[in-house]
Amino acid sequence: MNHLLLLLPLLIPLYGAILCLFFWRYVRVQQLIGILAQACMLIASFVLLLEVNNKGIMSTQMGSWPAPFGITIVADVFSSLMVITSSITGMAIYLYSIKGLDKARQTFGYYPVLLILQMGVSGACLTGDLFNLFVWFEVLLICCFVLIALGGTKPQLEGAIKYVTINFLASGFLLTGIGVVYGIMGSLNMAELAVLVRTPVSHPALISMAGMFFLIAFGIKSAIFPLFFWLPASYHTPPIAISAFIAGMLTKVGMYALIRLFTLIFVTDQDLTIPLLTVLAGFTMVIGVFGAASQNDFRKILSFHIVSQIGYMLMGLALFTPLAIAGSIYFIIHNILVKTNLFLISGVVAHRNGTFALKKLGGVYLQHPFLSLLFFISAFSLAGIPPFSGFWGKFMLAKAGFEIDSFVIVITSLAVSLITIFSMTKIWNEVFWKKKPESDPLLDVMADSEQQASRMMHVPIVFLVVFILFIGIYAEPVVSMAHLAAEQLLNSELYINAVLKR
Amino acid sequence: MKTVILATAIRILIPIFIIFSVYTLFRGHNHPGGGFIGGLIGAIAFVFHTMTHGPHQTVNTFLKINLYGYPRQPNQSRSLYLMRMMRVNVWRRRRLARHPQLKERMIRIEPIYIIATGLLLAATSGVAGLIAGQPFMHAFWADFYIPILGKPGTPILFDIGVYLLVIGVVLKITFVMSEE
Repeated sequence: MNHLLLLLPLLIPLYGAILCLFFWRYVRVQQLIGILAQACMLIASFVLLLEVNNKGIMSTQMGSWPAPFGITIVADVFSSLMVITSSITGMAIYLYSIKGLDKARQTFGYYPVLLILQMGVSGACLTGDLFNLFVWFEVLLICCFVLIALGGTKPQLEGAIKYVTINFLASGFLLTGIGVVYGIMGSLNMAELAVLVRTPVSHPALISMAGMFFLIAFGIKSAIFPLFFWLPASYHTPPIAISAFIAGMLTKVGMYALIRLFTLIFVTDQDLTIPLLTVLAGFTMVIGVFGAASQNDFRKILSFHIVSQIGYMLMGLALFTPLAIAGSIYFIIHNILVKTNLFLISGVVAHRNGTFALKKLGGVYLQHPFLSLLFFISAFSLAGIPPFSGFWGKFMLAKAGFEIDSFVIVITSLAVSLITIFSMTKIWNEVFWKKKPESDPLLDVMADSEQQASRMMHVPIVFLVVFILFIGIYAEPVVSMAHLAAEQLLNSELYINAVLKR
Repeated sequence: MKTVILATAIRILIPIFIIFSVYTLFRGHNHPGGGFIGGLIGAIAFVFHTMTHGPHQTVNTFLKINLYGYPRQPNQSRSLYLMRMMRVNVWRRRRLARHPQLKERMIRIEPIYIIATGLLLAATSGVAGLIAGQPFMHAFWADFYIPILGKPGTPILFDIGVYLLVIGVVLKITFVMSEE
């Protein structure tokens, strides 16, 4: 039973993609397979989360090879939370892309590639082997390259080249780090490595050096301060259905890997890592939010906010208390949902008005009061206004910071939060409230089919808003799960015992 | 790049490449070889054929099946009709193909379906373990030997899947590049 349950988040998208390949010519059938796969994925990941929440960490060995030698697939609360969040996001993206993506792109393999991308996300979250982690990140990189370049317009290719070049470099660093770790320790199983670093070794400095390789690699992949510039340059180029999933999910997978490795393996030299991570977190937040404040394009503002919010997640890791890590985990889940939703909303607005530029937009509140309400909820969640979900994440992080007297980083984060509100208000004023400039009355008339498409595109947004409201207003179950996850991350004995079966 | 020497040589080389690729595929479990290498060697045959004759000729030669048939006569028994159809499609196809009564139907195998079949085989070889309550990709082996090919087991399915996948991908790339 365990074996099946742990593999389902990988097998369902894989089989979905294979079936889509068999029906390459029939986009309708591919859509049906896609929806079916998404529904199965949601159910499977929900069951996995329940099971892990009740019974503790589960693990299985591929091909029955025992633990330090074979590839381990392991699920604790953190990874199953990531898997279920990714399947919720995947469902929303699928519902959106049926109407929101042009037919030409749908016929050229959009559905199978998106499913493989989801398999990559689940794989990266569930694997217990360092080299396997690298392979899953390569799967993510290749799928993203295909998706960003799909359609082949000039800005897309430009974005794709920037994205792939810099991420290729990151993969090189990651591989080097893995090589160094294997050279020092002679093992790549994460549980085995966790045991080995906690026993006295001859070269503790080498381990920190390997850790720096991983920090640079995942720092590029999750857009941390000095290495974030590729993100705003590439995320706004593809169609919104694609950029919403990539923007919502991918950087957080890098963050997941960083939190996993820096709580499990690279914990020996915390005099070095904790101040370093704190400084990086602060700069990431500040630079991201200032970048966003200077932009005048709906999607570019949102792209820069991804960078700023990565800083909060890193701040949780840098504070390194159970409460801070729980806050970080809660913040990752909240941010994936909210960010995807904001991107989808920008897509609906652009579908109606044909542009993302703030100057040319306006008057959406008059045309679509309901859409404005949905944006209002998501934007306030992102900024962290009390009843909504962002508040709980920031509250947990701030409280954890005050508990260990790290006032500077907490005050920075609160100030950044204020500027986030400023950015969201800017979008609200320019897109929703301002009177529409030079409005052409002919443009405001929509064909019936267009209106129906626009209504269909609201479905995924409402779907995501339900989850955002749920984790905001009824935060208790998610917060307690985040606490449990943080406890499991900090007591690595639990993880080691579950994998090595001692 | 159509030269007589290459075109003649390729007629002899294609079966050698394919047989050697299958041999490499099957010895791969315990020796150098396996699905990936086997698939690449097998794909060389098709790549050479495309280089000499062009992609359309390659599709016509290897990836297209013509089926012949005629509608069933009113007083003809069903079994007799089925046997006739079998014979038309198996026995002396070339000569019968010119028969005026026969209708032609073409089945074209696209590289994308080869890729999909390969992936399906490879994924399913792992699921066998899950069905038996063992971890994913748990191997099951038969207890007898087949000469040359060795001991049959579920991992060979994975290798065959990879073999098909590689051939499919190389064919797809070759066709796209040679059409440009």
